[in-house]
Amino acid sequence: MIDYGALTEFLLILAGGVAAGIIGSLTGLGGGSVLVPLLTLFYGVPIEYATGASLISTIATSAGSASTYTKKGIANIKIGVGLEVATTLGAIIGALTFEIVVTHNLQYILYLLFGVVILTSIIPTVKRGKYEYPEEKTLDFTSRIFQLSGKYYDEKSKKEVKYTGIRWWLGEIIMFFAGLLSGLLGIGSGALKVLGMDWAMNLPMKVTTTTSNFMIGITAATGSSIYWYAGYIQFFLASATAIGVLVGSRIGSALLLKISNKEIRWIFFTVLSFLGVDMIFKGITLSKIYNIPPFIGFGIAITFSIILVILLFIKLLISEGKYGNLR
Amino acid sequence: METSDKLTSVVSAILKYAIILSIACIVIGTSLMFINGNANGIPISQLANYENPKNPSYNSSSFSPVLIPQGLAHFDALGFISLGLWVLIFTPVTVLLSSLVDYMYTRNKLYTILTFIVLFNLFAAIVIVPYFVTN
Repeated sequence: MIDYGALTEFLLILAGGVAAGIIGSLTGLGGGSVLVPLLTLFYGVPIEYATGASLISTIATSAGSASTYTKKGIANIKIGVGLEVATTLGAIIGALTFEIVVTHNLQYILYLLFGVVILTSIIPTVKRGKYEYPEEKTLDFTSRIFQLSGKYYDEKSKKEVKYTGIRWWLGEIIMFFAGLLSGLLGIGSGALKVLGMDWAMNLPMKVTTTTSNFMIGITAATGSSIYWYAGYIQFFLASATAIGVLVGSRIGSALLLKISNKEIRWIFFTVLSFLGVDMIFKGITLSKIYNIPPFIGFGIAITFSIILVILLFIKLLISEGKYGNLR
Repeated sequence: METSDKLTSVVSAILKYAIILSIACIVIGTSLMFINGNANGIPISQLANYENPKNPSYNSSSFSPVLIPQGLAHFDALGFISLGLWVLIFTPVTVLLSSLVDYMYTRNKLYTILTFIVLFNLFAAIVIVPYFVTN
């Protein structure tokens, strides 16, 4: 006899996973950044299990999309593997820190940190995609030693793009923190990984985003095994979210290609910033510093997120006007 | 030296088939869970209860990966779900092993060493660190 109550609950979590996958894909931040707030704020899932489920979903989405990008030769496996030296180490330390935080009942720190990470990730993600190729910079000793050259065929411009990265050491430092956040918050840390390869290593945006996608799976797998033994993978949740987020991210990727009006993405950025602010409020309430009633927190979070996204939108419009045709 | 085409194809294929295998196992496992009304002897109503992370009966700490073959032999839901989840966790290990073989074959010493370090980190995360976490 099928337990319809449990089945309904499973389907609801799966639907949440699909929504997280779609929003994560459309905003470029990945399903995990949406899934953890969604599960903790709306489904009442403890953050321990939400992060565990998120890490598993992150590997699934990364493997799904990285398969396509590696086949097309855009993701640079060599650069990705080299940078994983730092991210995997960071993920181990992050997962261990998570265990310490949870055992000491300091979960509010995770909520606060998560909120801050989402809000700060929105800014570089919004700016992402404005330019395809980096400015030419003088190569350094790491360019040659760490073989940071590569090429790919750009379907849009119908030409082969050759590139060489720089400052491998700086990329590694940033990747360590990306790994640390991944292990600590159950996310892919795609925004930080992109920052490491785009800003620090001066790689083309397509190589950066696709290589980051490839790397996310390795980083998340590192944290997942520690989460498994510590007991933070809840089978019921992890199964529903792995399937849901994977399906959602596929839908999101297909939608992204079909949406002609890119401004629609701003709606999803508003949702994301709302989740970020609400996570901070939940963290403040749990820390017992100040008790924010849920409906007031909800109202402030909505207002704040709308204002924040409008300001970012205006700033982007101004910068576009200043620097010419960037979109 | 750029990434070889062979490595690119192998990595892409591993990622593609691993995700198919993993999701298939998870779908079979959850279907069994709903059809049988339990998994590993635990009623579904309790499996669906995720409110208490301190209760070890219903999360991964109570189901070691060494129990997977036993679970599969008994056609148990948790055996299939766990296999699906571990296929996901092991996918990057397989990708890294392919990269290691490619770098060794092309005599790229630096990237052989770097890949080996990443594999060691993953090995530490899967085997060494959990030992200290659980004891």
